[in-house]
Amino acid sequence: MKRYDKDLTLLRELSLLFGPSGCEGEVADTIERALPSLCDSYTRDRMGNLIALIRTGDPEKKQRRKVMISAHMDEVGVMVSELCEDGLLRFDTVGGIDVSVLEGRKITLEGACGKISGVIASKAIHHKERKDRNKPTPMAKLFIDIGARDRAEAEGYVSVGSFGTFDSEFYRFGKDGAFVKGKALDDRMGCAAMISVMSSLMGDRPKADLDLYFCFTVREEIGLSGAKVVAQRIAPELAIVLESTAVADLPDTEDAKRVAELGAGGALSVMDRSTIYDRDFLAFARWIAEEQAIPVQLKKYVSGGNDAGSIHKSGVGVRTLALSVPTRYLHSPACVASVSDYHSVTRLVEAMLRSMTPVLP
Amino acid sequence: MNNSYESLAQEIVALSSVMSVSGYEARGMDEICRLLGKGFDRVETDAVGNCFLWKYCGRDGAPKILVDTHFDEIGMLVREILTDGFVRLVPIGGLSPSVLQAADVILYGKEAIRGVIVSTPPHLRSADENRLPDCEELLVDTGYPKEELEALLPIGSPVGFAPVYRELLSGRLAGKSFDNKACAAIAAHAISSVPKEKLAGDVVLMLSSYEETSRLGGASAGAFSCTPDYAMVIDVNLATVPDVPKVETVPLGGGLSISVSAATDLNLTRAVQALCKARGIAHTMIAAASSTGTNATSIQLVDGGIPTVDIGLPLRNMHTYNEVIDLSDAEALCSLVEAFVCDREIADRFCGREELPR
Amino acid sequence: MTNLYTTLQKLCACPSVSGREERIREMLREMIAPFCDEVSVDNLGNLIAKKKGAKADGTKIMLCAHMDEIGFLVTFIEKNGLLRVAPIGGIKSVSAAFTEVISERGVAGVLVPNTKTKPEDLSTDKLYIDLGVKDQKSAERKVSVGDFFVLRGGVRRLAGRRICGRPIDDRIGCAVLLSVAERLSRTSLDGDVYYVFSAQEEVGGRGALPAAFAIRPDVSLCVDVTGTGDTPGADAMACSLGEGVAVKIKDSSLICHEEVVFELCRLAEENKIPYQREILLHGGTDASQMQLAGSGSRAGALSIPCRYIHSAVELCELGDAEACVALAEQFVLSIK
Repeated sequence: MKRYDKDLTLLRELSLLFGPSGCEGEVADTIERALPSLCDSYTRDRMGNLIALIRTGDPEKKQRRKVMISAHMDEVGVMVSELCEDGLLRFDTVGGIDVSVLEGRKITLEGACGKISGVIASKAIHHKERKDRNKPTPMAKLFIDIGARDRAEAEGYVSVGSFGTFDSEFYRFGKDGAFVKGKALDDRMGCAAMISVMSSLMGDRPKADLDLYFCFTVREEIGLSGAKVVAQRIAPELAIVLESTAVADLPDTEDAKRVAELGAGGALSVMDRSTIYDRDFLAFARWIAEEQAIPVQLKKYVSGGNDAGSIHKSGVGVRTLALSVPTRYLHSPACVASVSDYHSVTRLVEAMLRSMTPVLP
Repeated sequence: MNNSYESLAQEIVALSSVMSVSGYEARGMDEICRLLGKGFDRVETDAVGNCFLWKYCGRDGAPKILVDTHFDEIGMLVREILTDGFVRLVPIGGLSPSVLQAADVILYGKEAIRGVIVSTPPHLRSADENRLPDCEELLVDTGYPKEELEALLPIGSPVGFAPVYRELLSGRLAGKSFDNKACAAIAAHAISSVPKEKLAGDVVLMLSSYEETSRLGGASAGAFSCTPDYAMVIDVNLATVPDVPKVETVPLGGGLSISVSAATDLNLTRAVQALCKARGIAHTMIAAASSTGTNATSIQLVDGGIPTVDIGLPLRNMHTYNEVIDLSDAEALCSLVEAFVCDREIADRFCGREELPR
Repeated sequence: MTNLYTTLQKLCACPSVSGREERIREMLREMIAPFCDEVSVDNLGNLIAKKKGAKADGTKIMLCAHMDEIGFLVTFIEKNGLLRVAPIGGIKSVSAAFTEVISERGVAGVLVPNTKTKPEDLSTDKLYIDLGVKDQKSAERKVSVGDFFVLRGGVRRLAGRRICGRPIDDRIGCAVLLSVAERLSRTSLDGDVYYVFSAQEEVGGRGALPAAFAIRPDVSLCVDVTGTGDTPGADAMACSLGEGVAVKIKDSSLICHEEVVFELCRLAEENKIPYQREILLHGGTDASQMQLAGSGSRAGALSIPCRYIHSAVELCELGDAEACVALAEQFVLSIK
């Protein structure tokens, strides 16, 4: 069995990069450096999406099947909205962050002099009324402290509109390091899986006549997906969206609301809030998984949405599949996923692409 | 009033007076042509009610620059004719019941007739927290018998606020629908006044439809058909009032606003900010983290992606018949639009797009 | 001419939830084919039938009715064999509770609420499907997670020309399109006419958007049902059953093109077709998608007034649907 990104070097590198929605340059630069050896040709479009093409089979053949594989590079983050007199910063979230995971966190902000550190200031428990201790502090009462003594000092480093992300360690934990923890696993796991698959396909190309567009996209987390723009340009027939999906496989959760289980393989969606997935494509994915004994599970709850929502409705319509790594505590500085699920997703994508034919699956 | 302001103020008032309730933008087309047509080379409309005003630079293969200002306004439609001259309404766009009580309106049926929105006298109001009726429950008093009204006012006839304008102190203006026709008038003024040799490319001013009612707005279809290289979206922005946190507003009289947002193009935004600094144009930077809430969000995603910057004109009392703007902000915006459509550096940087990999 | 009610009966007997429209699509494909030059299915499963125009640059018109219906997705099977479900489309839990349901594979069951729940607190996560099985194992022999259910379909006649059943929303629109296509089949028109039976309308017009993008119509006309103001507790609305076809002015998804509205009303008056002008406060249609797809189209919509939409007892009057056929036909004929 092939081992992709066995020691998670790739995922670690990607997870630690700075890339809130609308400010994905660092992630794109890093991936772009690797692209020349991972594909036949690539483009970075005006929005910042990376589009890499691998053509397989007979390049002279006109009758080819266009497949888009996509993962988003951006992560949830913060944006500075006001510099206060006392040097503290007001901020807003970029993408959906539950306010309960903000208080007390370390933050990296990007500004005029490069990156600086900050913390999200919190009122000490001593100052909190007893009834408020179990409540998340509302956004209006949270500030970022970068250590500036006053507004003038802060202005030297940041401005209104400065982007930031969580500053969070990446590590493996649990027995045999079965789990991984880090920020932005949503969706750097998808990006890493694509890179592994591309590298493997370049080493040993599938025989079928396919145009495989691997797309690293921007701005998924704010719902205005770069993937839409990419899909409009490529106009693929099929699209595979690699994602992270929020799961709640916790001890006290009712079985019907756990969504999926960590360690049971990638999660395939039948339906979420933005998409009803293509029946035949879904059946194809399950069939390949079974054929090659790759663990996979069906998402057992209807929740969330992702780039598939805009991809499948783009242009004249695209038959779309979503394959996600089940992830706990999504959109927090400590996303937790299973290493084996990450690898299963990678294997399944490669297996599907290798089994694709120029006619409908 | 300062002289340099005067013609701009008149143009703003003239354009804002046009009735253009969402869906009925086309009724104002003759007036638009009369007011703005001579400053442009071509005027055309599309199936969705967008109006395009083109000004060509005269060079082949020049970049296409889009300036978008939505032209529709909030208002109401006639929903049902009742007895005794009363008419039931449906609101178009976000209207607040608290400013509608006893408001002057014009009903644009087969002819324009005047009406007053009813106000329940306090002694008949329920004790229920002094609650006002929802917009859907409001009636207009027209003073016509039912039969005549039925002939005069087909269901669906638009209803708009009366165009009555006043000059306030410090070069400020009050009246209806500066949102967003003040911006349209300012942009038209700016583009018209630039000699064509100075333009950095062909400029299209899109007076777009359906911004107030549709998530995408007519602008998404309009941008698709005019395929610009890059775009500036100009819309009004909430100006400071005492009981709203400062961070959610922009100061009236402080110049235009530039949004920094994950939903717009960061590089174009910074380029426009630099342009303002270089020209000494008064501006405020605001953070619109995940969305600008304007046409910028939809235009940005049209076709292969259009780099877009989001610009705001501070305005108080938004979505009322007494919106207030400051003419010094209007002047600042005018200067920026002029500078933007002439800026060759921006044109070089944001023109064209990369080929797909082959 | 085929009878509208007979067609409707046939269409309503075929379960076909949003995103899984295969069965109804095959049925409609056979029915529309004789009246058109080309029939195709796109990536999202829209059925697109084209009647070629005589002129290459004639005005292109797209008529659209959706063929999907609301339903449920099985998300989980409990140990006792009850199914947990997620809604597809705008299900009102109160009107769906205690009705018969049927899966796409033909498995019958009943949809029941958690009986401790008060009607006002009823939401889909408190609804279950009871297949009549004794445990999880026997349920799994009939149904899998990922299967789809719909409320059992079928229509019946009530008094006069009124009929009742489901999914009248929007099989009646499909029947109208078939009827229009039949009537126009021998007429030569300048422009291409597209009859689109759209997929996934109930989840937000997801099918009509790419269909309209592919077709790029100049003019588009949606045929769907609309609410009425003539039942207890309804929103005030000048639209009643039996008063004719409703010409849409506005709903919560769009404001129709003013000239299209004007033209439809003029044609109705000229041809003595009973009609009413419709403003719907809550609800949307595929018309909004056709209006803004690509560079946009002049969009209008005709509606058939219908009571109790999305319940098992949708109720409408055949005369209104016939008026809809007549007006849609006149509208297509009037396009130059």
